[in-house]
Amino acid sequence: MEEGAGVIQVLMILHALLGVGLLGAVTHQAVSVGRSGGLAKRTMVDRYRGVHAPAFVVTVMVLFVLTSLAGGLLYPRYRIDVRTTLEDLQLRAANGLFEIKEHFAAVGLGVLPAYWLSWQAPLTAEYAATRKYLTWLLAFVVWWNFLVGEVLNNIKGLFP
Amino acid sequence: MTRYARFNTFAILYGVVYFFCFYYNWAVFRYYPVLEGFRLQSQPPATAGPAILWYAWLAQALVITLGLTLLVPRRVAARLGPTAAWLGPVLVVVGILVYERRWFY
Repeated sequence: MEEGAGVIQVLMILHALLGVGLLGAVTHQAVSVGRSGGLAKRTMVDRYRGVHAPAFVVTVMVLFVLTSLAGGLLYPRYRIDVRTTLEDLQLRAANGLFEIKEHFAAVGLGVLPAYWLSWQAPLTAEYAATRKYLTWLLAFVVWWNFLVGEVLNNIKGLFP
Repeated sequence: MTRYARFNTFAILYGVVYFFCFYYNWAVFRYYPVLEGFRLQSQPPATAGPAILWYAWLAQALVITLGLTLLVPRRVAARLGPTAAWLGPVLVVVGILVYERRWFY
């Protein structure tokens, strides 16, 4: 095995696991924050949306930072191995998807302080829109980055 | 909330500063995976391989935004209001998508 390949594999798995946790937490919160009215019907969807959304804030923040950190550590290997392969295969769009992924990670890191502020108790009406849209923005960024990461990770299988 | 109004200022400015850094390809340092090290000067690709600028963009955005955020008086930061805290980053995301569409043609 090539030197350092084991570390990269562990980091890849860790990055993916952190991403899954982040995806679950932020999606739960994003669905919950969009909720309007009571929960008269106790369907599975109602129960999914009926979580205590503020409880996810610290989890989302910590997972976002850790996932970005793991991604940052993997970046050099990506730049040498994956990106050059994409360029050889002339998959410009795949490169573009990754460019957007890295920018979105940066934007996500930048909004974390305001996101935290908007969820501080007591939840005020003044910050309701900020709370909702920042959570949705983070959810969008996390979904994009997760899906792009998965596509790029499996790109040789997807585009043989 | 007024006490933390600067958090909103940070959220608004960080994305904008980051956008300008990558739009103008401005990086005070670069990481070269082949050389396994940071360099202040651009290195020849033939020997140094590709450079990563993303670390510099993140660091520059953080430092510049922190400085700007501290320069903005708390009274002015409070007047920016919570709407700008989400609208600013959303516009940056839109700007990124518009700019990076060049990869898809």
